Amino acid sequence: MKNRKLILACFLIVGLLSQTNAQDNLLDILDAEHPNEKIFTAATFKMTRISYGQSIETRKKGTLETYWSYRFWNIPNTRTQSFFADKVSGRLALEYGVTDRFSMGVGYSNYDDLFDGFLKYKLVRQQPRNDGSPVSITLFQGGSYNGGGNPYANNNDDFNRLSYTSQVLIARKFNSNFSFQIAPTIIHRGMTAWPSDPTNTFAMGFGGRFKINGHLSFVSEYYWVTNPLKSKETFDPFSLGLNWEIGGLMFQCMLTNTRSLVEDTYLTQTPNSFNFKAPNINLGLTAIYIWHLKKKKHPPQNKL
Amino acid sequence: MNKLLIFLLVFSFFNGTGQNQEKIIARQGQVSFFSYTSVENIKAKNNQALSIIDFSNNKIAASMLMNVFVFEKTLMREHFNESYIETDIYPKATFEGEIIDFDKSFNGKQTKMINGIFSLHGVSKPIEIKTEIDNTNGNYILTATFETFVKDYDIKIPPLLAGNIAKTISVTFRFEYEPYEK
Repeated sequence: MKNRKLILACFLIVGLLSQTNAQDNLLDILDAEHPNEKIFTAATFKMTRISYGQSIETRKKGTLETYWSYRFWNIPNTRTQSFFADKVSGRLALEYGVTDRFSMGVGYSNYDDLFDGFLKYKLVRQQPRNDGSPVSITLFQGGSYNGGGNPYANNNDDFNRLSYTSQVLIARKFNSNFSFQIAPTIIHRGMTAWPSDPTNTFAMGFGGRFKINGHLSFVSEYYWVTNPLKSKETFDPFSLGLNWEIGGLMFQCMLTNTRSLVEDTYLTQTPNSFNFKAPNINLGLTAIYIWHLKKKKHPPQNKL
Repeated sequence: MNKLLIFLLVFSFFNGTGQNQEKIIARQGQVSFFSYTSVENIKAKNNQALSIIDFSNNKIAASMLMNVFVFEKTLMREHFNESYIETDIYPKATFEGEIIDFDKSFNGKQTKMINGIFSLHGVSKPIEIKTEIDNTNGNYILTATFETFVKDYDIKIPPLLAGNIAKTISVTFRFEYEPYEK
């Protein structure tokens, strides 16, 4: 009889348990039902450049980016009457997203008299879940034509005025506030001022972004140039900056020691070290506006 | 006594699993939201929202991933996820509530109130939604449109864009249900 009571109690408990099982939290059921499709980390850097250098981001399909970037600095120890700044270096460029992962761009910068063009392809996209790639990888190939040439160069013909930059940009968004990028870079320059200067230069880039709030982030970038020019002293480019974006408008404000705005010149021809004495440091300002040339059509909506 | 035991066993078993079959689920629910201002109209749509109804107690739940919302402008999607909703931290929006005075056997259209808690961007608020329930021979479709305030969910809009994003967002959903099997 005692046994029977025990068994009865057991059944009652089983019954109660199966009942509570049935009243599982509905949200827990839905959690298990969410489709397990691939999700890629968005906005590792948000802008296609961290500060002066390229980032892994590409423009999305059908968007055109207009890019204005300037560096301002002063000539020391002279009395000048220039308004705001003695010297200005600027680059105007257009960048277009052909697909979500492939974009191309062209630009002109006045200081070095360079016409440049580039292709960017996002090869690997980081996935926030553990099963995907832990990093994003973008391939960058740029070329520039030196419009002014160099009167001192021994090979000043058109073909030799071309320079090429190849980069493998590898970045990881560690959390929603912090992203870091490394960028092995090879530069080939057709034209060198002196035979002793290397035509091939290798550089390693390091760049980071720290999000301050939804629209503002702090960025810093440094390139270590392994074999700089021999004919004159050059320095590694470094920057500290703030990136701010709102709607289709993006601004970059930076302090940097480089005056040039194209990869092959800012990496090989930065004339000053980063310190606060004029004219070593430049104020850099960039404005980017993004135009959506193709708008996504919404999938046809069922009758409501 | 043994017969009683068997009866209890059978009863408790059916009591448990019987309710399991009284759930219906929608796996491709459509949720859209609209922001209308004189400067800009913003529209976004999610085709993968989930919802489940438990007939035994008229409880209803819904859940959706925020990063699958599609916008007309690709940049808006990026801003939405990174600057406003913070999808990295709050990947989902969820709803948990009850259909008031729901009669599941009623064939045709009926309008009922759904009361519950809506959670978005880490903020949970009680809401009431007037919902149209369409039952054609056991195929349930729920549709509704309701208004919600951006301010309620701690979503910060910079003053410069105050004119571009409406203070009240209109949300529309349509869930088509099928029997839920584990």
